Amino acid sequence: MNALSISTAISTGRVNLITTRQRSLTVARWRALWLALVFAAIAAAALVRIAVLGVSDRTTTIASLEEALLPPRGEITDRNGVPLARAFPAYALWYNPRALGEGGSPLVKSAEEVAAELAAIFPDLDQAKVARQLAAGRPGYIRRRVLPEDANRVQAIGELALEMPQETDRYYPQGSMGAHVLGYVDAEGRGQVGMEQVLDRHLTDPALRDQPVALSIDMRVQGALEDELRRGMLAVNALGAAGIVLDVDTGEVMALASLPEFNPNKIDAEGEKYMFNRVTNQVYELGSTFKPLTVAAAIDAGVVRDFGRRYNAEPVAIGGFTIRDSHPLGATLNVPESLIHSSNTVTARIADELGPEKLRQTMIDLGMNERPYIELPARGHPIWPGDDWPRLRNMTVSYGHGIAVTPLHLASAYAAMVNGGVWRPATLRKLEPGAAPRGRRVFKASTSARMRQLLRMIAVYGTGRNANAAGYRVGGKTGSAEKPGAGGYRRSTLVSTFAAAFPMDRPRYVVIAMLDEPKGTTASSFQRTAAWNAAPIVGNLVPRIGPLLGVRPDDARDVDISDLRPLIRGDGE
Amino acid sequence: MSATQPYIPRAGERAPRPDRFRTSRRAELKIWWREIDRVLLFLILALMAIGAAAVAAASPASASRLSTSDQQLPDLYFYWAHLRWQLLGLAAMFGAAILSRENARRAGIVLFAGMFAMLVLVPIAGYEVNGARRWIDLGVSFQPSEFLKPAFVITLAWIIAWRARDPNIPVVAIATAIMGAVGVLLMMQPNLGDTVLFAGVWFALVVLSGVSTRRLGAVIGGGLVAGVLVYLFYENGRNRINDFLGGGTAFDQVDLAQRTLLAGGWTGSGLWLGIRKMSLPEAHTDYIFSVIGEEFGLLVCAVIVLLYLAIVVRVLVRLADEEDLFTLLAGAGLAVLIGGQAFINILVNLQLAPSKGMTLPLVSYGGSSTIAVCLTVGLLLAITRRNPFLKRGRPGVWQRLFGRESRQ
Repeated sequence: MNALSISTAISTGRVNLITTRQRSLTVARWRALWLALVFAAIAAAALVRIAVLGVSDRTTTIASLEEALLPPRGEITDRNGVPLARAFPAYALWYNPRALGEGGSPLVKSAEEVAAELAAIFPDLDQAKVARQLAAGRPGYIRRRVLPEDANRVQAIGELALEMPQETDRYYPQGSMGAHVLGYVDAEGRGQVGMEQVLDRHLTDPALRDQPVALSIDMRVQGALEDELRRGMLAVNALGAAGIVLDVDTGEVMALASLPEFNPNKIDAEGEKYMFNRVTNQVYELGSTFKPLTVAAAIDAGVVRDFGRRYNAEPVAIGGFTIRDSHPLGATLNVPESLIHSSNTVTARIADELGPEKLRQTMIDLGMNERPYIELPARGHPIWPGDDWPRLRNMTVSYGHGIAVTPLHLASAYAAMVNGGVWRPATLRKLEPGAAPRGRRVFKASTSARMRQLLRMIAVYGTGRNANAAGYRVGGKTGSAEKPGAGGYRRSTLVSTFAAAFPMDRPRYVVIAMLDEPKGTTASSFQRTAAWNAAPIVGNLVPRIGPLLGVRPDDARDVDISDLRPLIRGDGE
Repeated sequence: MSATQPYIPRAGERAPRPDRFRTSRRAELKIWWREIDRVLLFLILALMAIGAAAVAAASPASASRLSTSDQQLPDLYFYWAHLRWQLLGLAAMFGAAILSRENARRAGIVLFAGMFAMLVLVPIAGYEVNGARRWIDLGVSFQPSEFLKPAFVITLAWIIAWRARDPNIPVVAIATAIMGAVGVLLMMQPNLGDTVLFAGVWFALVVLSGVSTRRLGAVIGGGLVAGVLVYLFYENGRNRINDFLGGGTAFDQVDLAQRTLLAGGWTGSGLWLGIRKMSLPEAHTDYIFSVIGEEFGLLVCAVIVLLYLAIVVRVLVRLADEEDLFTLLAGAGLAVLIGGQAFINILVNLQLAPSKGMTLPLVSYGGSSTIAVCLTVGLLLAITRRNPFLKRGRPGVWQRLFGRESRQ
């Protein structure tokens, strides 16, 4: 540079020119590579996006022509073929401002007039909002679901811009009935909550979706169960109710209800609040309903051999804790009396004789230590007392405290107790005859026969008298457990349950009715315990569902309790 | 130096033609074949073949959509029309590619003058389609803005390359003034998509011209301000941006496009077996990428993305060895033009950008647009011609980056 700068003016300019040219060329070359990098980055973004879209589940539905002829989603029916969920060819109301061509007003009348006419057809329409939407001239939905007769009336308005595309929709013809069993289909077309979620793949599989899927539910039984539960729940101002009807020999669920329910046809914030399933998801300390299970375990183990033997019924003081009965039942009680009067003290002493290992093993055999066996996605894990039970824990579990399970656990356990002693998983799929799982033996058949007598005696002479529907040979056990609150159990906040089976001479179905926090009202004679609110639900329900399920009322038949009857003193009549 | 008198320009006297080896037409073609970028040509032809298949797939959808009760279009109406346009386009491409670099530049400048004049005429003599006045009818009807694109790039590159002769010419200011004039004319139509594309190409050329990074930052800031202005004052653009940000409504164009794109999964439903495309507006033009997604699958979509990237990168990387400023600018500008339009369209289809109304170059159906894109490619081939027997004198970018000989 130095040598050049002292040369003539002309050559300096030339050299400068060459330098400029070289410099700008170098810069341009490097920046061309920058540009290439920018494009590489954009292409990478596009490729990542393609990959993300490709693995998102929106693509999995590959549409082919044959599939277009099938319903978009298979039907669900109950065990008798009654449709519970079906594809429904519905109309939507779509605003197409270009229907009259480009330019000019999209509507013949004014936006306000059209909105007023639409509001006359759909009273819940937001007239001002629709008028704004029409005036703005932007395409969009006005309504997602329009009934055929309303569609005709919309046509009669005579606006071409109001189009009614046909869209298939999921429709639940029974409304909110069986909502927790069925679930719903969300806006993306995926099943949620109930069997819609469980069967999602099956229902959308092109090879399978032309055939309806039958559930084990019987719609008539489901309706009766929901009706009786709702009546019982409202009569005592309970927070909620749960109920289940279970086939004791196959594990098929005939009806399953959790109240308050939601409407799968209309999912909103209100509905989402109630999607929680009390039967399979919520665990409760179910209280005295566990006593028959303890007694059955004791009979099975040979600890209870003599039903006339009298046990001490004084309060049990152990480890700074005293187990009492709800009211004094006398100094001594035998086993039938302890169940009839629901004695905590006698049950605790029997469990103490039985020992924690045996009771714990029976509870494990009944599936009380794992989530309930059913297809539904929401299943609650029990609060299980663990491996090593101290003496006190053994005693409290014997009358249903210190262990929390779902009502479905209890139903399966009662089924095993009365069906001859075999535990089977519950199912919501309809089973072909003979296709019931083999299950596992928990109790001896002789134990099961004894338990039928004892459960029947509770319903005839004891706390279950309100459930004793004439002719249906109901047997069952009440349970009124205090709910745990801050600083111990709350005496006035109960979960009251009635766990029953019928007919006791040849048990076919287990029925569980549970009320969450019932209040004392006139309807329950100002009582909060299960004998006054849950037992009557079963008492009303069994005569309604018995004939539907093939159980006829018969006064001439009953389980033979003549050998135990003389052991009951006093008020048994 | 020869002993003859050196040439001094005087009135009425032309420079004597340098003696050239006289060649036959056949030999010239052979030389041409040796000089052009054959990899680029192959990539372009591959994309055009995919385009023919894609238009065949989309044609029934658009034909049934555009049929009226008076006139029923046959299913493959757009396919046969597209093949005819592609033949014309190939002719235009070959005609442009056979030019020498200098003649390609001259042709570009003349084309710019002509098309700019047409663009001025559009608001007066043009006619309206779909609410925008973009077309002009001179015996054959066409969109001047389509043909303006390659001419604009070449003219801007030529102007910026003036700097190599006289550093005192305010080349960037002139280029910006031209951009402003074109932008105003385009927005009068209105045509936001093409304005964005022209601005992008202009920006790429300004970047290449060596403007300092600080001023580049200012330009990007100005671009953001322009975006806000568009949002505030251009209603159609505002609606589209709102749709993009707010997710739009179900079953609007964008949503339909995505449903179509995803309907085929990875491997597609097969040619003419797609269903979703039937409800897609502009299936054969703006949303052909989605139709490809349904019928040929997402994998083919990825292949198309890679093809466009390969074209852009091939051109830009090859230019990194270039000694001539005009060639570098024009070649890079034309590559950015094709790649930019392609990626805007692809990003719209993938819902990564608000919808613009821009075709996928070389693939979408189109009359004047197909010919214009082919002409662009032809000019690109002509400008990037390079004698394969000439080697670099000084080390280029490649040697400096990797320390080895560059290819060609």
